[in-house]
Amino acid sequence: MTVDQTQASPAPAAQSAQQKVWDAPTRLVHWLFVFCVAFSWWSVENKQMEWHVWSGLTLLGLLVFRIYWGFAGPETARFTQFVKGPGAVAGYLGKLLKPNYRAAFGHNPLGALSVVAILLALITQVTLGLFATDTDYVTPGPLNHLVDGDTADDLTDLHEDFFNILLALIGLHIAAIVFYLVAKRTNLIGPMFTGKRGAENVEGPASGIAPVPLWRFLIGVVLAVGVVFLVTR
Amino acid sequence: MKMTLFATCAVLALGLAACGGGEPAKPSEPVAPAAEVTPVPEATPAAASDTPADVPAFMKTRHENYEALGKNMKVLMDNMKSATPDMAAVTAAAAEVKKTADVMGTWFPAGTGPETGIKTGAKANIWTDRATFDAAAVRLQTEATALAAVTDAAGFKAQFPKTGAACKNCHDTFREEEKDH
Repeated sequence: MTVDQTQASPAPAAQSAQQKVWDAPTRLVHWLFVFCVAFSWWSVENKQMEWHVWSGLTLLGLLVFRIYWGFAGPETARFTQFVKGPGAVAGYLGKLLKPNYRAAFGHNPLGALSVVAILLALITQVTLGLFATDTDYVTPGPLNHLVDGDTADDLTDLHEDFFNILLALIGLHIAAIVFYLVAKRTNLIGPMFTGKRGAENVEGPASGIAPVPLWRFLIGVVLAVGVVFLVTR
Repeated sequence: MKMTLFATCAVLALGLAACGGGEPAKPSEPVAPAAEVTPVPEATPAAASDTPADVPAFMKTRHENYEALGKNMKVLMDNMKSATPDMAAVTAAAAEVKKTADVMGTWFPAGTGPETGIKTGAKANIWTDRATFDAAAVRLQTEATALAAVTDAAGFKAQFPKTGAACKNCHDTFREEEKDH
């Protein structure tokens, strides 16, 4: 049964169908990013450095998985599906402001820039954190011993400063979501929880993304855990 | 409203980040090899009640002492991470840490706190809650003494975390977090 019977409107069945846009791993990784960034912030402000390091290492694993998933995941998770050139971004901007706008299947070309920017910022921030240290060397980053003290101090300062860039990108991301909700009447938040959205006036196949075999997901988990293990060893 | 708020935050955040990036390069110091000991600069000993004659110079030296302490702690932590610690480097760095810990209680005489207007990580409660501060300094001295007495890798690996915890114990209460650079 693909028809959403809870929908009150008497629209034809084909139009009240649900389009699957986000797979479970992509959604889970997204919300764990949210949780870990917030928790990393909270833990460092409250001097819970052990938790801060583990939160960062969790982010490292999540990033490894998400990059792998950008090649091995379903259509909407793949970089080749959503990372587009400036022409496509400009074309999307033109479409965005027209009344016959149709929601993109997965990330739109403009949002893709935000995805790439946030992923790069997270990679930068987590990498800096690996080499950073707390002032008393009780809980330094797991790779701090690979750099000398002055370098470690510089990287620690950068780790603190760069968080502002990450915050700015997150602010922009949330602002864009509010824009779509208010100006385009498009709820992007619900699908990031359920994976599905109403299939009216959207691009992409009606049924949405195809399932991905479990073994491909498991390879990603092994990769993620493996990298974290190597870093902490 | 929300949009404005986000836009403001974003602009502020970028502005702050830009400030951080625009600092002039520090004059280059010779970087000591990891195994080399960073000698702790001599402190100007003073009784808790005596304000030093040259407060800015005193506070500058105090800061440099902590920088040197940090370098020695880094040497120790690097060896902590090693399966085969370089015990010669450990012993030398631990001796410097102990030397620092022995006199740290004298580094905070009256009139050398944040009330001077000079940039410092020392919080005012060092002087208002002196008994707790002194106890923290004694704890560091005890742990650093034990650290300086270690003779083997196992002893070092057991004692270093306790020494670091003594540092943190005091920092958590009496040290201001740096908010800017």
